Amino acid sequence: MMPMKYRKVLNLSVGGGNDFQWCFSQVKGAIDEDVAEADIISTVEFNYSGELLATGDKGGRVVIFQREQESKNRPHSRGEYNVYSTFQSHEPEFDYLKSLEIEEKINKIRWLPQQNAAHFLLSTNDKTIKLWKISERDKRAEGYNLKDEDGRLRDPFRITSLRVPVLMPMDLMVEASPRRIFANAHTYHINSISVNSDHETYLSADDLRINLWHLEITDRSFNIVDIKPANMEELTEVITAAECHPHQCNVFVYSSSKGTIRLCDMRAAALCDRHTKFFEEPEDPSSRSFFSEIISSISDVKFSHSGRYMMTRDYLSVKVWDLNMENRPVETYQVHEYLRSKLCSLYENDCIFDKFECCWNGSDGAIMTGSYNNFFRMFDRNSRRDITLEASRESSKPRAMLKPRKVCTGGKRKKDEISVDSLDFNKKILHTAWHPKENVIAVAATNNLYIFQDKIN
Amino acid sequence: MEYKVEAHRIMSISLGKIYNSRVQRGGIKLHKNLLVSLVLRSARQVYLSDYYGGVCVRSPHAGGVEWGEGDQMDSDGSRSTPDEHGGESALVSDDSVRIPEVSVNGPAAAVEGQDIEDLAPGSDYNCQQSPQEDVGSVKTEGSGSAETGGPGSGSEHCVSRSENSQQGSAEVTATCCTRKRGAERSASAGSPVKRPKATAVPALPPVGGEGEGPEDMDTGNVSSLITIFGSSFSGLLSKEGAQPATDSEDSDSGKICCEQMLPNLNPWSTAIVAF
Repeated sequence: MMPMKYRKVLNLSVGGGNDFQWCFSQVKGAIDEDVAEADIISTVEFNYSGELLATGDKGGRVVIFQREQESKNRPHSRGEYNVYSTFQSHEPEFDYLKSLEIEEKINKIRWLPQQNAAHFLLSTNDKTIKLWKISERDKRAEGYNLKDEDGRLRDPFRITSLRVPVLMPMDLMVEASPRRIFANAHTYHINSISVNSDHETYLSADDLRINLWHLEITDRSFNIVDIKPANMEELTEVITAAECHPHQCNVFVYSSSKGTIRLCDMRAAALCDRHTKFFEEPEDPSSRSFFSEIISSISDVKFSHSGRYMMTRDYLSVKVWDLNMENRPVETYQVHEYLRSKLCSLYENDCIFDKFECCWNGSDGAIMTGSYNNFFRMFDRNSRRDITLEASRESSKPRAMLKPRKVCTGGKRKKDEISVDSLDFNKKILHTAWHPKENVIAVAATNNLYIFQDKIN
Repeated sequence: MEYKVEAHRIMSISLGKIYNSRVQRGGIKLHKNLLVSLVLRSARQVYLSDYYGGVCVRSPHAGGVEWGEGDQMDSDGSRSTPDEHGGESALVSDDSVRIPEVSVNGPAAAVEGQDIEDLAPGSDYNCQQSPQEDVGSVKTEGSGSAETGGPGSGSEHCVSRSENSQQGSAEVTATCCTRKRGAERSASAGSPVKRPKATAVPALPPVGGEGEGPEDMDTGNVSSLITIFGSSFSGLLSKEGAQPATDSEDSDSGKICCEQMLPNLNPWSTAIVAF
């Protein structure tokens, strides 16, 4: 069990703007300034009900939080998330053939829909996907015939009578066990996994290929997309993200490093190299620079819950696409346009390669994504208002205001604004998650997990 | 001019990133290296185009022929890109076309002007022929074509300049062609000249445009780049660092080398025809 210090502060501050009023709820993780690389959170995911919240980190560990049942004693405090289970999902491995180390970092976690008392999730590192079963045990059988209470075997000749073991209550124990290991199917680094709406299959994507798996079968998978050129010298783009459609089990999308999205229908062919739909926005020639190609690379793609739209995140913006219109997005939101003039510096310090994720709220009315300086941005699709909030310890103190933040892009800096040059590019929010039904969000800031709740209700 | 400096800086940074990616934990990240190679290529193109834009003014021998040659190289280059993968066979024709021009251009032109300028598009494409070549070209051009890169490349550079386009292309494409040559070039100054020249010939795109064009241009065979870097990067980095120091010596040494190399033109043409 990994010990983890955490502070819990109930802070009923009001976040301004929007229809939401975001309040700080909890923060998980070490408070030390010195951050161990292994503790850096690399993925965050709510399960289908929102009762469970899973995080994966660079050390290959998975931590699952469970929401408390709301207590009648404290009606105003919403259920808090407490540690439910912690386990080591992946270990570092060594590929002897290529003399390469395989990182244990958890790239993605995806929950399976719950079908019985146990919970199942898929976690993946660069090469191997694992299906984990998380189950509770609160009873224990006592009164065995062949062994003592402390487990020692009894001498069979000494047994003179038989008894039936009885189930006795015990302290709740949450066990995580690997039920399936899906290995050796990816030559390149896995960047995405996505559970299909049929609840039987899932896809995994690496830089050049996408495979379709059956959850029960580990020794083979179907390759459904292969963009590896015959001659690697002709390589021009890689797959950056992939997702199954939320309702149509034959449809999936994958995004590329060139800023394009392809929608594929698995009914059309066994190998979906030819897309059904191709989404691309023409490049604005006036904004061309050395780094145009890098910043157009899509880092995340997410279907809306309705399945009608999808959202893509590139370095500077978030775009919402209507699946029925391929030639341009229906909405574009600038996340941190002020960085456009800093691309060279961001290239030097590698920040330009940061892969930000994005997420929808339950109603698809709002979207959220992260930025630097521990800022994260929310866009209300209906009102077109946007807000910048910060995940920081300062705003997590009792009675501290969670107020909207603003970056000063030029000219005179107003009070409370922060200038672009003062932004801390080491504090990046790459992973965020929104509760599927309520206005509760989880924001990963390096090694800390912040949970915010909407004050309304 | 600032673009040139900036482009060169970006090229150096990009090469450093590709090099560092080899020692990163978890292996080489294909996506990141692909993006870096795209930036590298863009920077290189700007660097070269800017260079040519600056130097052509100085060349007294900027003749119609030469310019024409350059133009042809352009079109050839673009058409031939797909052929680059096939590499070493088809370029002979272009090189031989240039040969007569070599004799026309004097040392002055050889030093900086159009040779390089004519050369640029061709060599640019040539260098993109394969990952090796891409890397090699970046290496040399970064160090050699614009400024002399280190002592080893210095003379090579001079040679290329003096022999104008052909030489220059040899310089550039030669290094592009094989990583081994790249390593060798940094090691010894004189000897590589001929060999790159010979191999440079194949690097030129064939006249009969293949037509795949831009798509092949966009390739950056990352895995090959990485392989190349792994074996021959050490020379590159030192070259890059040495560039500014040798910059000032360019013009003088270039002229001297031109004079020295002009007599070698005939043997070169022979070698080229042989290929």
